[in-house]
Amino acid sequence: MLEYRYDPSIIQITESVNEQDAEFRIRLLQEEPYLDRLKQIRRFFEDNDIYTDALFYVYKNHEYGAIVRKEYYVDFVLALMKHQLLQSVEWKTSPESS
Amino acid sequence: MEQQAVLAIGIFLIVYAFIIAEKIHRTIVAMIGGALMVIFGIVSQETAIHHIDFNTLGLLVGMMIIVNITAETGLFKFIAVWAAKKAKGRPVAIMVALILITAIGSAFLDNVTTVLLMVPVTLSITRQLRVNPTPFLITQIMASNVGGTATLIGDPPNIMIGSAVKELTFVAFINNLMPIAVIILVVFIPLFILMFRKQIKTTPELMQSIMDLDEKELLTDRKLLIKCLTVMGLTIVGFFLHQLVHLESATVALAGAFLLLLLTGEHMLEEAFAKVEWPTIFFFVGLFVLVAGLIETGVIATLAEKATNLTGGDVAATSMLILWMSAIASAFIDNIPFVATMIPMIQDMGSLGISNLEPIWWSLALGACLGGNGSLIGASANLIVAGMAAKEGYPIKFAQFLKLGFPMMLLSIVLASAYVYLRYLM
Repeated sequence: MLEYRYDPSIIQITESVNEQDAEFRIRLLQEEPYLDRLKQIRRFFEDNDIYTDALFYVYKNHEYGAIVRKEYYVDFVLALMKHQLLQSVEWKTSPESS
Repeated sequence: MEQQAVLAIGIFLIVYAFIIAEKIHRTIVAMIGGALMVIFGIVSQETAIHHIDFNTLGLLVGMMIIVNITAETGLFKFIAVWAAKKAKGRPVAIMVALILITAIGSAFLDNVTTVLLMVPVTLSITRQLRVNPTPFLITQIMASNVGGTATLIGDPPNIMIGSAVKELTFVAFINNLMPIAVIILVVFIPLFILMFRKQIKTTPELMQSIMDLDEKELLTDRKLLIKCLTVMGLTIVGFFLHQLVHLESATVALAGAFLLLLLTGEHMLEEAFAKVEWPTIFFFVGLFVLVAGLIETGVIATLAEKATNLTGGDVAATSMLILWMSAIASAFIDNIPFVATMIPMIQDMGSLGISNLEPIWWSLALGACLGGNGSLIGASANLIVAGMAAKEGYPIKFAQFLKLGFPMMLLSIVLASAYVYLRYLM
């Protein structure tokens, strides 16, 4: 199981899961330089060959949403990490699998 | 029949068979067929080049460049989300809005480009509403074929007919085909709602999430958007005036494309050219040469004579024959080679004594464009949508589409028959 940490003074992330997707709500508390980085992540997922891997939404209250297909969850989290929107990402072994 | 004519028919039929079989890319097959026409001396290279309709090719390339640059601005996503919000997030209303956007887009852009722009935004909206995107995609396929019928630039068959018959201007296409395209769409939309309304239900919370979207954020480059809209506007005005100012539609489209590239700067040049669908352009080149072989050996003239004898040279009977034959054929084979073959045949009918060819041209356009709705392989846009949907986990099966598309196509052709009869033949 992938666990991530972020700096809550810069970014707030909430995540919910349904049958096929993980839904992220991202609120940037500090726009510079993080908004540009988020846009780069969005561009990366929009420009690749798969349309529904991660779909991005911009809401009126400066919140950003992403609906991420389960099989691209790791790619999405790693993209957040790559663009330094996360502080750390770690594989945690769930109790059942240990 | 002369040996050269038999050879030309042989090459043509083999190429057609390969195009239908879809085992080898249609462009490769058409270009090899065209090359064989020249290699076997059926047409000389000079004659082959003379038969290539550079007006059709220039129009396609010009519009592809303009649309591809405009897509970079996020305009099309903006329009779709704006419409979804106007529909208050209600799935049925959004489906209707996207049908209308697709139809209008297909009328003034080309079908394939329109659906390439619409599918990603449709998948995005339906994902957010957690509804099945298939009804949206199927209805957009049909809307693109109906909308494309309405104008000279909407669908490749119309581009080819408009280019071959100088009297059929951009305005003439709108005057003659837009009314019936609107009628068909008006009949289709309530049927679509009846068919799909139960499959696309969502919750009030998810509808509200659509209303919370900020569509203005989707416009990524406002300066570029202004340039694109200006050039698009000028180009469409140019299409309306092209006959008055004695310019071919390709000149208008290419002038618009290169004006836009002048305004955007060289950095857009390579990307804009890379996104031109060169396989489609070369498919046309191959087909024009293949048909040249049939024309030069007198095959087309013989076919025209037989068709004229069959209908006794009666305009009404010939129009109905062309309309229904084009529709049924276009449902199962590519309408581009079909129309490429029919154009010289109809031109020859003129020289065989049919004085009023106008209803026959409109019948060909209506049959070839609307026939595309008959099956999943009926038009390039259908295959593009099906391919994109399948890749995202929403396959549209051939039988599933046929069950819906073929009756809808027949309905549209019944409406078109009544329209042609009442407007031109009574």
